[in-house]
Amino acid sequence: MSGYWQEIFVLVGINFIVVLGVSILTGFTKLFSFGNAGFMSIGAYTSAILTTRFNVPFLLAVLAGAILAGLVGYGLGSLTLGLKGDYFLITTLGFGECVRVLFEYIQPVTGGAGGLSGITHYTDFTIVAISVVVAFIFAWTLIHSKYGRNLTAIREQEVAADAVGINTFKNKLLAFVVSAVYAGWAGGLYAHHLTYLEPKIFNLAKSAELTITTVIGGLGSLTGSFLGTCVVTLLPEVFRDLSTYRMLLYGIAVVVIITVKPSGLYGYKEFSITKIIRWFKNLSKRTSGTVEKGA
Amino acid sequence: MFLQQLINGISVGGIYALIATGYALIYSLLGFSNWAHGEVAMFGAYIALTLVTRLSSPFLGALAFGILAAGVASVLNEKIAYKHIRDKGSPTMFLMIAAMGISTTYQNGAMVVFGPKFQMFPSMFDVTTIQLGSVSIGILDVISLITSAIALILLELLVNKSKVGLGIRTVASNSYTASLMGININRYFSLVFLIAGLLAGSAGVLLGLKYSVYPTMGNVGLKAFIASVLGGLGSVRGAIIGAIIIGVLETFVSGYLNSGLRDLFTFGLLILILLIKPSGLMGVDVEDKA
Amino acid sequence: MQINGLNKNFGGVKAIDSFNLQLEKGKIHGLIGPNGAGKTTIFNTITGIYKPDAGEIRFKGKDVTGLKPFQVAQLGVGRTFQNIRLFATLNVMENVLIASNLDITYNMLDSFLRLPKYKKEEKALREKAMELLKIVGLQDLVDAQANSLPYGHQRKLEIARAVALNPSLLLLDEPAAGMNKEESVELVEFIKEIKERFDLTVLMIEHHMDVVAGLCDHVTVLNFGKTIASGRLDEVKNNKMVVEAYLGEEK
Repeated sequence: MSGYWQEIFVLVGINFIVVLGVSILTGFTKLFSFGNAGFMSIGAYTSAILTTRFNVPFLLAVLAGAILAGLVGYGLGSLTLGLKGDYFLITTLGFGECVRVLFEYIQPVTGGAGGLSGITHYTDFTIVAISVVVAFIFAWTLIHSKYGRNLTAIREQEVAADAVGINTFKNKLLAFVVSAVYAGWAGGLYAHHLTYLEPKIFNLAKSAELTITTVIGGLGSLTGSFLGTCVVTLLPEVFRDLSTYRMLLYGIAVVVIITVKPSGLYGYKEFSITKIIRWFKNLSKRTSGTVEKGA
Repeated sequence: MFLQQLINGISVGGIYALIATGYALIYSLLGFSNWAHGEVAMFGAYIALTLVTRLSSPFLGALAFGILAAGVASVLNEKIAYKHIRDKGSPTMFLMIAAMGISTTYQNGAMVVFGPKFQMFPSMFDVTTIQLGSVSIGILDVISLITSAIALILLELLVNKSKVGLGIRTVASNSYTASLMGININRYFSLVFLIAGLLAGSAGVLLGLKYSVYPTMGNVGLKAFIASVLGGLGSVRGAIIGAIIIGVLETFVSGYLNSGLRDLFTFGLLILILLIKPSGLMGVDVEDKA
Repeated sequence: MQINGLNKNFGGVKAIDSFNLQLEKGKIHGLIGPNGAGKTTIFNTITGIYKPDAGEIRFKGKDVTGLKPFQVAQLGVGRTFQNIRLFATLNVMENVLIASNLDITYNMLDSFLRLPKYKKEEKALREKAMELLKIVGLQDLVDAQANSLPYGHQRKLEIARAVALNPSLLLLDEPAAGMNKEESVELVEFIKEIKERFDLTVLMIEHHMDVVAGLCDHVTVLNFGKTIASGRLDEVKNNKMVVEAYLGEEK
């Protein structure tokens, strides 16, 4: 694979990991959050500071960033997940902005608004590939287990979920923490890919972009999230001229999708080989059926 | 110094209130926060600015037209996106996602059409200040304070004293029952988006005059969103109170501590209030009917 | 289940006024009364959706007043809703599986690595769900999306879901609403069968008097949050206050 395509793969992979988290949170649990760029930022800065200042091994630093993001997610979620939709949304938005302002303010540690540079380029193809595989399998098995069923139950009908004994608060917290850990993890990889960090990389627009990606790909589908990530990451690479209009197009796309076809590219279903095989079998049956009739 | 800061804070809060009341009105009818509302303010400001600088229209006429354009944009957002989502019976989260999409569209649309730079209105008012004892206030602050006050009083009268206001309150209390009573609820939805848009447009124009016009100036809508949440979603008075609290808090933090920490204090206050009173200062705790 | 002196106010209006109830194990108890009498409010207070202003709810000897809805459910109180609340875009099987999630003991690691424990429990769960669906007669519709089912099937699925929780008390909120005579006769048999099969105690809200007559061992009549009569249906039917409460209601 050429360096260019490796680079693209790394970008898609990192974005996919964050989007998986947002997908679990928004697509499967129906929690709309604006804090995910904030969690990414926590993972990115934590790992970058650990590797540059304290010579901590790269993988350990990324892990530390992901865990810290998860802990902060646990704390924040415990405080705010009891709040209703809009109130919850505004607290996550506030959280994201606060993290940014805070990182700008504590200049001695983070380099402030001027940025943090000199991060070693550790993130390579292999580590991203392994991360994506692990993140995807964990997300897939989580969704296809009682945990995932509890989350979709909350999405579909929260009162009924409660009525069948699901601790909705605890399950929402699970989704929130998982999304925070994924964001922190991706943030760590991103920092050591970019080799340079600025608090404003992880602003509100970044959080919006993550949700936009999930919606374009299709809510309630990990496959959809993958497609969404590919589209959102690759389009501006393929059509360089479009980059000015990039966010404008995504904005319009989201409005159109959510009003006209809320399932996006591939929402509320998953790609599965067995289903495809079954579909082909049925197809051959149908065609052979018509042949018999014809004969 | 203290008094001057206080007046500045109230003046800023007044502008926030113009947008925050729009959030409250729309929430009281539709049960969601239309946080593309700040972008409507930005749109109004750009229209007014373009009329003044490119077409050299009469100043006040241009401002009025900008405000009107914001009102129309607000109604269009409702007609094009929100109405369809409601008609489909989709979850409220879809309305919030649509609002996010609309907000992204406006911001980046403005970026493409007008460019990322900060633009100023030609200075119409000298940078004169009014001296009241030891307090000196900028003339623009006075104008913005008076304008906000008049607009908010008119809004209060409209909602609480007029026949139209009664209709709005009826639809807000239960749109389903209202529709059974033969009230054309969609007309009220449009009307409320229009009023909210006009208020936001006024805020946009005032902000443009006071500071400058730029594509992301609609982020002021977030402050207003916070104000409306702080005051209690759906409560117009709560939104005004919340907006003034935030305006004053911001001015004081910037004045006495560090302007970089402004947002930290605002959000800190918000989270604190929500933890003590989960439905805001003047919100009602409704138990969902199962 | 025993309820003593339950009160619930909404903005000064007494939705439930000193409500008492004693449920006998294995019996079907009816809660009747005109619209707005506070019947659903009682359900919502029992299941923890509303916090009562006064009074005590005991279930299996334990004080359950003020517990959260999921805690009440976990203790063994299943319910259905007046305006059917299924997991609408999920299929029939998933609706039942979700309600049996409490049977599962595997953890996240078991499921991540797909260890034998995960496989065994998931298999057992699906078998149990299939059995339940056979009993309610929805076995051929396991893959159908819940909101695509006809109304009567949706009611049955909601009951199946409540039963999948392994409850000992089942609360049914107007199970016969929107059904014609024929369908409600079938429903009566269905509820009887479910009750016997799963050894349930049932508390139901119902307007259809033939359904009440066909099922309930005991009825409580409510009006404006107050209990106006209680006893066997034929005993309360001719009670003067009951007749007055229903005047103009055409039920």
